[in-house]
Amino acid sequence: MEQFEPVVVAFCCHYCAYTAADMAGSKRLAYPANVNIVRVPCSGKVDAIHLMKAFEKGADGVYVAGCLEGDCHFKNGNTQVARRVAYVKRLLDEIGIGGKRLEMFYMSAGMGERFARIATEMTEKIRDLGPNPVKSALNKKKGKAVA
Amino acid sequence: MMKNQDTMSSHKKILVVGGGIGGIRAAMDLAESGRDVVLIDKSISIGGLMTQLDRTFPTNNCDLCTISPRLSEGGRQERIELMTMTEVKTVSGEKGNFTVTLSQAPRYIDLDRCTACGDCYKAFPECVTFSPGLDHRAPTCMRYPQAIPQAYAIDMQKCQDVEALENICKAGAILPQQELKMTELDVGAVILCPGAAIFDPSGLDHFEYEKNPDVVTSLEYERILSASGPTQGELVRPSYGKNPEKIAWIQCVGSRGIQKGAASYCSSACCMFALKEAMVTKERFQDSIETTIFYMDIRTFGKEYEQYRERAENEFHVNLLRSRPHSIVGDAATGNLNITYTTDNDGLSKTEAFDMAVLSTGFCIPDDIKDMALNMGIELNAHNFAKTDVFSPVSTSIPGIYACGLFESPKDIPETMVQASAAACLAARETHPAVNTEEDTTKNLPERDVSNEDPKVGIFICDCGLNIGGVVDTQSLADFGKTLPQVAVSQVVGHGCSKVAMDIIKQTIIDQKLNRVVIGGCSPRTHETKFQDLLKKAGLNKYLVEIANIRDQNTWVHADAPQAALQKAQHLIRMAVTSVKCSHPLTDHSLPMNKDILVVGGGVTGMSSALSLADQGFKVFLVEKTAQLGGIAKNIQKTIEGQTVPPFIEALSKKIVQHSSIEVIFNAFIVDHTGMPGMFKTGLQIAPQMYYRQIDHGITILATGALQNRPNEYLLGEHPDVMTQLDMDGFLEKTPDRIKAMGTAAMIQCVGSRCPDNPDCSRVCCQSAVKNALRMLDINPDMRIFVLYRDMRTYGFLEDYYLEARKRGVIFVRYEKDNPPEVEAAEKGVTLSFVDPILGKRLSLSADCLCLSTGLVADDESTEDLAMIFRLQRTRQGFFLEDHVKLRPLDLSTPGFFVAGTAHSPKNIKESIADAQAVAGRAQALLAKNTIELGAAIARVDSNKCAACLICVRACPFDVPFINADGYSEIDPAKCHGCGVCAAECPAKAIQLMQFEDDQILAKLDGLLERMVA
Repeated sequence: MEQFEPVVVAFCCHYCAYTAADMAGSKRLAYPANVNIVRVPCSGKVDAIHLMKAFEKGADGVYVAGCLEGDCHFKNGNTQVARRVAYVKRLLDEIGIGGKRLEMFYMSAGMGERFARIATEMTEKIRDLGPNPVKSALNKKKGKAVA
Repeated sequence: MMKNQDTMSSHKKILVVGGGIGGIRAAMDLAESGRDVVLIDKSISIGGLMTQLDRTFPTNNCDLCTISPRLSEGGRQERIELMTMTEVKTVSGEKGNFTVTLSQAPRYIDLDRCTACGDCYKAFPECVTFSPGLDHRAPTCMRYPQAIPQAYAIDMQKCQDVEALENICKAGAILPQQELKMTELDVGAVILCPGAAIFDPSGLDHFEYEKNPDVVTSLEYERILSASGPTQGELVRPSYGKNPEKIAWIQCVGSRGIQKGAASYCSSACCMFALKEAMVTKERFQDSIETTIFYMDIRTFGKEYEQYRERAENEFHVNLLRSRPHSIVGDAATGNLNITYTTDNDGLSKTEAFDMAVLSTGFCIPDDIKDMALNMGIELNAHNFAKTDVFSPVSTSIPGIYACGLFESPKDIPETMVQASAAACLAARETHPAVNTEEDTTKNLPERDVSNEDPKVGIFICDCGLNIGGVVDTQSLADFGKTLPQVAVSQVVGHGCSKVAMDIIKQTIIDQKLNRVVIGGCSPRTHETKFQDLLKKAGLNKYLVEIANIRDQNTWVHADAPQAALQKAQHLIRMAVTSVKCSHPLTDHSLPMNKDILVVGGGVTGMSSALSLADQGFKVFLVEKTAQLGGIAKNIQKTIEGQTVPPFIEALSKKIVQHSSIEVIFNAFIVDHTGMPGMFKTGLQIAPQMYYRQIDHGITILATGALQNRPNEYLLGEHPDVMTQLDMDGFLEKTPDRIKAMGTAAMIQCVGSRCPDNPDCSRVCCQSAVKNALRMLDINPDMRIFVLYRDMRTYGFLEDYYLEARKRGVIFVRYEKDNPPEVEAAEKGVTLSFVDPILGKRLSLSADCLCLSTGLVADDESTEDLAMIFRLQRTRQGFFLEDHVKLRPLDLSTPGFFVAGTAHSPKNIKESIADAQAVAGRAQALLAKNTIELGAAIARVDSNKCAACLICVRACPFDVPFINADGYSEIDPAKCHGCGVCAAECPAKAIQLMQFEDDQILAKLDGLLERMVA
């Protein structure tokens, strides 16, 4: 059977995580292509609705990456979103998608290695969890086999 | 312009000689600060040495991607007049009032007409001047793909049939009658940054450089790796086109007095250069290639360069072989290069076969630059570099003429950038800025109203040489783009940031009446502003462009999985398209600029930058946490060059305290900070009463210095005869009698540096050790001095002092990291035990005193507090993290913030002063503007939806929203920082952050996840 290739969405803040991702590029640190980055000015901009919509649209895993605690360019956007992430994780558990599919990470702009490591670990974790049940439900509805 | 006017009342130009990266930086800084500049270069296009490189350390970024935006800015800036193929003939007059004669060689091309179509080159390749001079087989005759000016030059002497050449040019740009042109010019100041030449190894027959095509210089190797080079980036042996499997780098060719005709100094950049080339080679060819660097001392002394070396060795498995290579001999039968060398561990001669050898050739000053300098009458040092002083690092012997970059001393790009900005700062004092320094918008088309149009998207995909095109098929990516709804155009544009591609994109936008643009290329962090400017020129609002990062976050990281990379590139393009369709025109907010400056730290760096700015009439607040000025330099008595430091500091402090534009605030701590670039407010608490004071300023300069490292090693602090080099500096001055009474002194290098706690090299300790050893010998010539070291890092001209120390009998003994010297307290002095690598034996030594070269470490406590308060990034070791290690080494990521001196990384006094003048130069460019741009990413409240629930008021990290008299939340655009936290928290979704609106973010998710729900 073909290996399940999850689709992972990473919301990255412009000042730290997105820069770290570019840094990973500069250093040519390979990580799985499953991770797709959406740039936001601050991780604090990531709304609960964005996280839920990502799952509704079929993402298998989502994570938010912000600055290290205390280093947020906007003081505390990263800790504010962390609370939101924790809240959405509970919601995901309740509706059966599973809170484990959503995570919050912190990293500084210089941490290209950390970015690549997290991208790899998150992809592996989601691969182990299997496809987002929303997607399987949709596929079933269409009469297709589960990917 | 009339002569003999009062110099400061006239608006004179400044001449910048040399259009390499340093000259461009100086010209740009001056132009931004409102000065008119004439930038001349003797070659046919600007860019200098850097444009010949493939990648640059330490990020291994593509070089052209890094430099090309600066080049086009340099070519674009209204205040810069560019003259190529031009040299200075004479300079007369004095500071503020020079007359220079320039001679411009004929190009035989009309620059206004040449479209760089390449017809002349295709028909008559031999007639076209091509000046990298390294290899004539490069794919185009442009010096590099983004050449400025983008035009050919003709070599008339090689042209047999001039008429045919004229006829082939459809633009009618060939000017066979063009002659050498002499121009006389009045200028206020001159900046010399003509660069240097690369040592020519032709005379070294033992390396067979002339004889064997597989022996190349490091710059030639760079050309081979470069996508715009002769092999278009494919690594092949020049001899017979096969891929090499084993490559050797030979260090110090032409440097450190090793070979015949070599200079005695160290060329400073070659160790990093070789490491970079070896790493890039390993990265591209993985394990199929073996790379070995033959070196004497590995000199990775720059900021975090030591960690780069670690990565080269441990992650990329580059072999570093400490040895003396004797010869390279080609074996005709096998085609191998046999390299014979000795290592100092066993002293045996060994021979190993390689496929290619790269000679790490150093820098030297060629005759034409030397003659130019002597013609002007400026003094040169013993090595023919411009003579400068420790306390005025970029000033030549003639006031008003400044030198920077390689012409001043061998150095790498970041240090060149620093000196260029420093020279710009000093040169700017000689002339007044122009009155109007605001952006010239006349070149932009009037903005087209697109509000009633349906989205019509144009996709432009960069191949970025091999960076993108080498991993994914850009054409198929463009074809994919065409299939997306509402996409009118989708095409590949080569280097999207090059002038040619920019022109194509602009014309396509106009011709096709596009109203949304997607660029598939590098990170928006690099070129977003450039493409936004392009949209303005094409008559579109600049916020109608979206950049898909298919390089940094795709091809660079998924090169091992090209299929997946292509698929991901498609997702990223689709994401950008769906998102850009939701974008709408926005207006930037701007505010008046506060022109006062806050300098934090009253050491040499802080004082020097405060003085440079105050001398130009700016108001400076200099905040110092202690009760006196001078910083760590107060403990230094002498520089290695022999100047006495205390009188300099005393004179500088006096000037600072007496200056009418500088207010020094002692015993002050920074406690809070608000505002934005151009209108900061910083709160201080001032001891002893701890009263609070707030300062308004537009620029912040951090010159908070570093601390002397005092690790608990080798009895430091426990034994009276064990001290640091800094302690010894004072000891030598105050108690020379005790030195006279000593028989033996020992020094240990890298104590508390290059170790797990502090992986960086402290840069200054090798020179301190050599300095103190020489001073000891001055006092007590009979003294025996032993220096135990790992690599002696006496870069640049410091090598001369290292040589002198050895000549005068100082004994340098190397030790291995894993086998450090051991020290025990003795009855008198200490006893050292260490392994001598040449003898291969453990030796024991009694010393009357032990100096530990402990170097500098970041003032972690201060930088941590300041980083928190000012929201700045730091390196892992606690130094402030610059915005761009190569090109913006002193700018911090928040506009208006700069770092200088040892708060950036360990450096000596001369380097710190250059930093100080450089940040003043950078600041003055910003201060020339009367308004500051705040961008458009600002939160807006929809009053109809707002329920005045106060959630935004509580959530905002900056306390900006408030409930206004009309009963809904109001956000002042001048105060909004644009984080979007309020928008995310607002339960009624009444708040939207412009540029990052919810529908745009959701559209991105749609674009990305489309196939799943379709």
